[in-house]
Amino acid sequence: MSLPRETAHELRLREQAGRQARRQARAGGVLLGAARGGVVAALLAVWAFASGRWVDRQFVADPLSVLRALGSLVGSGRLWPDLAQTLVEVLSGYAIGATLGVAVALVVAFEATLQRVLRPFLIAFYSIPKIALAPLFVMWFGLGLTPKVILAATFVFFVVFMNMVTGLYQVSPHLVNAVRVMGATRRDIVWKVALPSSTPYLMTGLRIAIPEALIGAVIGEFMSATVGLGYLVNEAAQQFNTAVTLAAIVALLVVVVAMDAGISALEGRLLCWRSSHADLASLARR
Amino acid sequence: MTHVAPDGQTIAPAEAAGAATPVLEARGVYKVFVTRGRGGLRAMTALRRVDLQVRRGEFLTLIGPSGCGKSTVLNMFAGLTAPTDGTVLHEGVPIRGVNTRGGYVTQDDNLLPWRTTLGNVQIALELKGVRRDERHERAMAYLAAVGLRGFEHHYPHELSGGMRKRVSIVRTLVDTSVNVILMDEPFGPLDAQTRLVLQDELLRLWEGSGRTIVFVTHDLVEAIALSDRIAIFTGAPGTIKDVREVPIPRPRDVFHIHDAHGFAEIYDAIWAGLRAELTTEPMHDG
Repeated sequence: MSLPRETAHELRLREQAGRQARRQARAGGVLLGAARGGVVAALLAVWAFASGRWVDRQFVADPLSVLRALGSLVGSGRLWPDLAQTLVEVLSGYAIGATLGVAVALVVAFEATLQRVLRPFLIAFYSIPKIALAPLFVMWFGLGLTPKVILAATFVFFVVFMNMVTGLYQVSPHLVNAVRVMGATRRDIVWKVALPSSTPYLMTGLRIAIPEALIGAVIGEFMSATVGLGYLVNEAAQQFNTAVTLAAIVALLVVVVAMDAGISALEGRLLCWRSSHADLASLARR
Repeated sequence: MTHVAPDGQTIAPAEAAGAATPVLEARGVYKVFVTRGRGGLRAMTALRRVDLQVRRGEFLTLIGPSGCGKSTVLNMFAGLTAPTDGTVLHEGVPIRGVNTRGGYVTQDDNLLPWRTTLGNVQIALELKGVRRDERHERAMAYLAAVGLRGFEHHYPHELSGGMRKRVSIVRTLVDTSVNVILMDEPFGPLDAQTRLVLQDELLRLWEGSGRTIVFVTHDLVEAIALSDRIAIFTGAPGTIKDVREVPIPRPRDVFHIHDAHGFAEIYDAIWAGLRAELTTEPMHDG
């Protein structure tokens, strides 16, 4: 089964196929970029046309004034403290919530008795609209960073926990038995089978949790804050300054997109062992 | 007698327990499974007084209709299932908990999909604390022995069924602390040609190694081609009705096993015993 020597003809065929695939990939990338640019242009055009015609400029600022507002926020440096504050809240809440989500999921999956005892409480806690907790957290933890981080962590926790538990319940018992016979300890089973096996589910959870973290932080900032993108949105909206409101929302959007790109990169590294997903679009083509 | 394995390691010869002690033994073993059915819990006898002695260094095959409990016997030798009554012993000592001195090759290859070929072959050595460079060296030697050089960095989904099976067998053989290999229909899912090639490779790797193999199959020709002895099971609830020696000398040619002197006689003798059990084969698989 060692690889046989390749003939000159075979080499040519392989190189041709490679070149063609690379050319197609490049052309596809350009086309995709153009299509996406087109969608953005169309949306902006409709928005620009509608603002001042279909809707009052007072309620929906036109794209150009939003861009101008964003420019002045960046130019004056007014944006940075707000952005930094929200970033710190989101990232620390995300990290804490995700870590706890994975940890509690592992405990639930590996401790059957504890799982049976805790189950109703977890479900009860899960069913509380977490927004309702915001005033309490503010009351308990003050007006600073802490309540926002805790709120973001709470939102993130359940999403990651639910996905992780699902992933852990999908771990093949045959794989676990295979390594047990080889002498695996509980710790080995966690690190060498359970965690890698449920990584696809974890990544899904981490992805869904990104906007959750922002929701938590922004709600916290709505409740009580003197700095942060949520505070900026709220303050500008109260002054009917929709240009600044929308500019702050654009900044939030950038945070989500950047975090999502980070998760995609991590996913690419951690899940390179998976065969590519089913391409239903081309499989189902007539 | 010591044997030099593909990686240059010597496999531990028969222990001081004495050649007279069977490597594996089942004494008066019964197994009752409790299943949850529509009518509530239901108890079913899977094994009925199984007495079996596995001799040191032999290739013993268990054959019988599906659902007769052959795999359950292997699971007991692996320590994954405990007998309901009776004793299962390894080197004269009752097996309690998982038997990490036995290697287990199952019908599914049960490779860790997130590990490359090399990573999969090293897993048992890793779990048993073998040094990194030694692990690597031994794994590479075994991969070369089954023609998998050049595929060490491939993931399981990038390999053919036959290659995955080779990896699965080699990852068990590479662990020299294992003197008993349990194989549960390892070649079942493979096509006829690959099956023959792998049977041949298995015999080459095993012959003279001093290791004991307990093999389960449905395929009588496979059983004859590989085994020193064949234990014939009755239909469920299973018990051993007969144990036959295979009088064909080694080394054997699995590709022309039909032409071997004595093949027809042993085939007819075992088939007569097996056939009586097949007519009463239950419709379910247990």
